[in-house]
Formats: sequence, structure tokens, C-alpha cells
Amino acid sequence: MGTGTSPGEDRIKDSLVAELDTGFAELVSAYQPGIYSGAMRLTGTREDAQDVAQDTFLRAYTALEAYGDDRIEALHIRAWLWTIAINLCRTRAKQRRPSVPLVDGHDTGAADPDPMDDAAWSERLSKLPDNQRIAVVLRHVLDLPISEISEVVERPEGTVKADISRGLARLRSIMDSEVR
Amino acid sequence: MNTNMLELQLRGLDRHPPEDLERSTLITVGAADWMAITDTPLGVLWVAWSTRGVTGVTPLAFADTEDAFASHHRRRTYRADHLPADLASAITTGLESGDTTEVPVDLSGVTSFQRSVLTTCATIPVGTVRPYGWIASEIGSPGAVRAVGTALGRNPVPLIIPCHRVVRSDGAVGNYAFGPDMKHELLIREGAILA
Repeated sequence: MGTGTSPGEDRIKDSLVAELDTGFAELVSAYQPGIYSGAMRLTGTREDAQDVAQDTFLRAYTALEAYGDDRIEALHIRAWLWTIAINLCRTRAKQRRPSVPLVDGHDTGAADPDPMDDAAWSERLSKLPDNQRIAVVLRHVLDLPISEISEVVERPEGTVKADISRGLARLRSIMDSEVR
Repeated sequence: MNTNMLELQLRGLDRHPPEDLERSTLITVGAADWMAITDTPLGVLWVAWSTRGVTGVTPLAFADTEDAFASHHRRRTYRADHLPADLASAITTGLESGDTTEVPVDLSGVTSFQRSVLTTCATIPVGTVRPYGWIASEIGSPGAVRAVGTALGRNPVPLIIPCHRVVRSDGAVGNYAFGPDMKHELLIREGAILA
């Protein structure tokens, strides 16, 4: 079993090969919550996160329709989905700048523990450079291994570790300055 | 702010998506269907449909619960209150006259062999019948009579694609997913055979 695969992932790939629509329904159930959650922290808004989480899977479906069985079997599904999602997040960020984190003006999502807190985190994370924000969110919000993040952002593992470390230091400094 | 505290806070930022996001995604790509009950000239039917057309039909008498239909349908389905008005109207008109060619059908969930069997079957005019061998010849596989029978037996949209119009070469009505009696009744109703 290679990097980034898991028994769950292998089962989903088998389903995709057997019958695309059935496998795709399993794929969405397994990975869309994580993509939504990460996209919310990367884009800063629930609205953008929903769009990114939907568009990621629309693109994935179109790609899977064209892929042969071998190509599907060789996929690192989560890393592949995140590669698509990160590109969509970046496109959105370019369209939206300057970013204005929402304070849940028209939230239709699941119960939110603390909307003000969410807005504060969007603000803090938006102050990090892209590479640091992506690495910190994938590693510490979503618990992806360094090797998988390295695959998603196409940067060496050592660089990803440095991005995370610098990102955390910067967040600490931002939060310390809020307390003063 | 120490490192562990910050990492704990970040871990707590994981949020669940809105409940309807998964459904909306699957319906949009066509990997899942809506389902509802509808009253037609041939009785009350379960109908499943995608953005492209009807994907499944089963008489209520053969699937008395939502779960029974969903497991029979074998694709991810979400319950709707009713069919879209234009689809309901096309089905009602089609089943009334027997000419269902105007009802949009989505056969993307079946194999290519089954699709060619079903699309050929869909060309059989109301009031007529054809033997299994005719479909086998039409699709260029004259030896595949048995496979044609199997493909018709698994027709996900019976009544809309009129697999009841395919009969045995000796004139007997042959098998039908909902029993030979129903097949017989349908053919009498369409004037294809005498009562």
C-alpha cells in the first residue's frame, strides 16, 4: 500500500472501478466534509467553501469518467481531490481580493459553535502567505500527513514542514498582538 | 500562546458541511436520483429520475415502501414530494397512449450492451410485438437471444421502455419482471393481442 492510501480509500477505488456512480457516492460521503472544512478555512467564508466543495467533486467526476481502471487504482484520492480544491480556492481568492471574512450574515450551514470566533480565525489565517496557510490548515485543521501535503502542493516535505512551522509562528504572533 | 494550545485550537476549527451539500453534488453530476410516487393510467408507480431523465420505474404493488424501491433501484436516491410537472405530464401522456418516446430516459447507469438492447426495444411501436431474436439481430448480435432476454429482464424503466412488447418466437408472451399476467394485460390494452 503506497503513501496516502488506506483501506477505506482502496474500497472506494474498487467501487469506482466496478460502477462509477456508486463509487462516486461513497467518495463524496468520505471526502467532501473534509474538503468543505478545509476550504472554509482557506477561503474564509462558508459560501465559498460550499462552492469549492461542490466544484471539486464536479471536476473529479468529469475526470473519473475519462479515467481507465488502472489510472483510478493508482490515484491517491484525498491528495488528488485536494489538488483540485486548492486550485479552486486560489482562483476564488484572486477573484475576491481584498478578502472580507463574513460574520455569518446568511449562514444556512450546520450549527456553528461560535460565528464570531470563525470570523476571527478567517481574519488571522488570511494574514498568512498562501503556502503557509494551506500547509497549516491541511496539517493542523484536517490532520493530513506531511507526505500527503507535499504531494498536494508539489513542494518537498522539508519545505512543507518549514511552511507549517513559519505559519504557526506567525499565527502565534498575530494572536499575541490581539491580546495586548 | 504556546504551540500545543494553538494546535488544539486549530484542530477545533473542523466544521461540518450543510446537510444538503452531498445530495446537491450527487444530483448535479447525475450520480444520484430523486424518487417519488406518481399516479398514472397504468396505476401508481415509483419513479426515479436524474437531471437527464427517468432512471427507474417500479409499480407500487411491487415495491410497497420507499426502502423497497430504493434497494430495487440500486442507485443512490433521495425522496422528493412529487415529480417535476413536465416529467409527470410526459409520463401520463405516454402511458395513456402507449407511445412513450417523448419521455426522457437516462440509461447512463446500465451497460452498453443493455443500453443498445433497450434503445432498440424503445422503437417497437405500440400495438405490436417483436421476438427476442429480432432485437438480437437489430443490435448485430443474432446469437445473443438469451442475453437480450436477460437485458430486458433488468430493464430499469419498464413501461417507459416497452420491454413487454418483446415476446417468444412461438407466440407465448414469455417472462416479465412483474409477472406474465401483467405483460398479457398490457399487450391486450395496447391491442397487440386478443383478450
